[in-house]
Amino acid sequence: MTVPDTEGALAGVRVVDLLDERGIYGGKMLADLGADVIRVEPASGDPLRQRGPLSATGDSLWYAYYASNRRFVTLDATTDGGRTALAALCGSADVVLDAGALAAAGVDEGALLRDHPALVLVSLSSFGREGPWAEYLAPDLVAAALGGVAATTGDTDTPPLRGFGEMTFAVPGGYVAIAALAALRHARGTGEGQRVDLNVHETLVSCLEHVLMWLWYHERLPMALGPVLPRRGSLHWSDAYEVMNARDGAIMVTITPDPQRLLAWLVEEGAQQDLLDERYLSPSFAGARPMTGRFMEVLEDWVATKEVAPFFFESQARHHPFGWVLPPDHLAANPHLSERDWWVEHPLPGGGGVRGPGAPYHFSETPWTAPGAPRPVAAEGDDDPAAVLREIGWDA
Amino acid sequence: MGRVSPAGSLPLAGVRVLDFTHVLAGPFATRMLGDMGADVVKVNSAARPGNTPVSAYYVMWNRNKRALALDMSRDEAKAICRRLCERADVVIDNFSAGVLDRWGVGYESVREANPGVTYVAMSGMGERGPWSSFVTYAPTVHALAGITALVGVPGREDIGIGFSYNDHLSGLHGAVAVLAALEARRRTGRGQRVELSQFEVGAQFVAPALLDYFANRRVAEASANDLPYDVAAPHGCYPCAGDDRWVAIAVMDDAHWASLRAVMGDPEWAREARYATAAGRAADRRALGERVAAWTRTLDAYDVQARCQSAGVPAGVVQTGADLAADRQLAVNDFLTPIAEPHPALGQTYADRLPLHFARTPITEYRRARVLGEDSAEV
Repeated sequence: MTVPDTEGALAGVRVVDLLDERGIYGGKMLADLGADVIRVEPASGDPLRQRGPLSATGDSLWYAYYASNRRFVTLDATTDGGRTALAALCGSADVVLDAGALAAAGVDEGALLRDHPALVLVSLSSFGREGPWAEYLAPDLVAAALGGVAATTGDTDTPPLRGFGEMTFAVPGGYVAIAALAALRHARGTGEGQRVDLNVHETLVSCLEHVLMWLWYHERLPMALGPVLPRRGSLHWSDAYEVMNARDGAIMVTITPDPQRLLAWLVEEGAQQDLLDERYLSPSFAGARPMTGRFMEVLEDWVATKEVAPFFFESQARHHPFGWVLPPDHLAANPHLSERDWWVEHPLPGGGGVRGPGAPYHFSETPWTAPGAPRPVAAEGDDDPAAVLREIGWDA
Repeated sequence: MGRVSPAGSLPLAGVRVLDFTHVLAGPFATRMLGDMGADVVKVNSAARPGNTPVSAYYVMWNRNKRALALDMSRDEAKAICRRLCERADVVIDNFSAGVLDRWGVGYESVREANPGVTYVAMSGMGERGPWSSFVTYAPTVHALAGITALVGVPGREDIGIGFSYNDHLSGLHGAVAVLAALEARRRTGRGQRVELSQFEVGAQFVAPALLDYFANRRVAEASANDLPYDVAAPHGCYPCAGDDRWVAIAVMDDAHWASLRAVMGDPEWAREARYATAAGRAADRRALGERVAAWTRTLDAYDVQARCQSAGVPAGVVQTGADLAADRQLAVNDFLTPIAEPHPALGQTYADRLPLHFARTPITEYRRARVLGEDSAEV
């Protein structure tokens, strides 16, 4: 077997992907950008291969998506031979992405980095290697709770809520890719590899938009009553964006960025109610809190009279950033995505393929890689390091 | 061009980034690049007063950058802008398509003078396609991308994710795009243009629902805290003692359930045969959830977390921003930290550190956000 022929941005970058669901999206990002990414799994198979949703023939659609563009090597890392082969594989890589698998296999990470001074080892954990919660278990919901995501999502009459699918773990996934590429750049320039640690908890806290702003600067924010903004449905922290119900569907409506222009539209339709009253006519949006609240109420009445599709298109034609709340079947038929040839086929191990999301970014010179046919797996139980490296073409 | 970082310096030392981004998605991307040592010059158009550099929101996303004010309606400013673009490794914006062309620094004109440039355009909808002119903020993208429909409670009006999630994810993708393009330039010697669509970034996160729809024609719906594709129960947020205090408990397998039973004092209801299997528990998830809630309701949330976790049951307090400020785990890395130099308008400002702990090239410096044009002379 030879290294796959690719012209992606990361062509020739050798990556060993030992990530679990907490970081697998980062491995996917590197693989889809053209890196040669090897996933290592036990002979019994990666447990992530069982994750739903499944196809009618029992293939994991989840895995087809998140394990795209990888090659797979089967190793029994509980044996001495398997452990040695795993260490040799990592030593031949530019980047190793780990989430505890090396320690579990008994691979000496310090020795690995000493023996391979240019190696980048990205090490993901839930909470870090030290501290009171270092050993805590944090699947998606628990990570979202501790990381501040859940407290900010939901409404007063609902429990705090998690995101859909892998929304939570996409955050550490993105950071895994950044860590790998930044440290790789440093290693390319200096010959100096290194370990980069990251934990899910800190990554989530870094991606909460207004939550830390509220904590730190609430005394300066005209709308903040304390350090915490309680969850409040779809109403944005600024009070200026909310999902409203039109006659036949929901739409996200906002007075940003130009309330005066939106007011003109309301006046055009005679729907302004009392918004022309002098007390609402404040020159600036930021200082116009009473107007924001009243404006949103008036909008709600107005939106309730509308048919959602034509209303959405008219709002956008008038440059208002309204958003039609689309369920997944509508998204699947979205004309914009079709026109952009966005969807790509994801091959399934049992044969055939299924359509799924394509590239989030488009490189003019180094194309993003659509998921290829499932790649061969090295022979089961092949624990001879030289054979494994030969097998995947990393012996040279 | 092609500068590399010297040993011991930050990983992106020597990378020059010209930053035309505004609001959150783009500034978050360039904030990460600045944290890692890139020289990020943020260009604020003096003619765009809405993007005020002394607001708390601006300060959150613009540390570790230099600030240049240019009035792009003036020819001198356009000339300066062109010269900066010629010397930049990276030019990045999140305007709607066409704004930088009007300023004379569209990709084609920059590339002519600077063929190695990485030019990243992070627009809302991307440049081609019937919706390309649509204006978006994160809540718009959440709605269009299926996120709003799928994050919520079944049978209730839409909720969606409670913060600008997709702006952060677009920022992460923007940073990855920059770093990948720089690696490609190292190999090929050529720069390139990257078009990022925030809508496409967002639509990826409902991937399981989309693949399920295409494969099985099942249309996913919001499912509160239940996992839509895996059998796990109890799995939710449960009320605790105090005002709006909650703990998340996630029983992912039968071993977790056995341990949770023990933590709860092995009540008689929990011994019912139907609860012995994940499928049995999931079939009765509502009643089961109420019983778990009856147990948590009088307890302190952190106490439930500690008792569950010490028994090997995944559990965690639903932490608010105030809880994060007191979070002893975040304190290990001094994650939330004051910035030493006072801000001229806001006084004391703060940083959440870049959550990447580089062993050899640690990031120690967090410089406050600059006010409008603060570094104009220097640049």
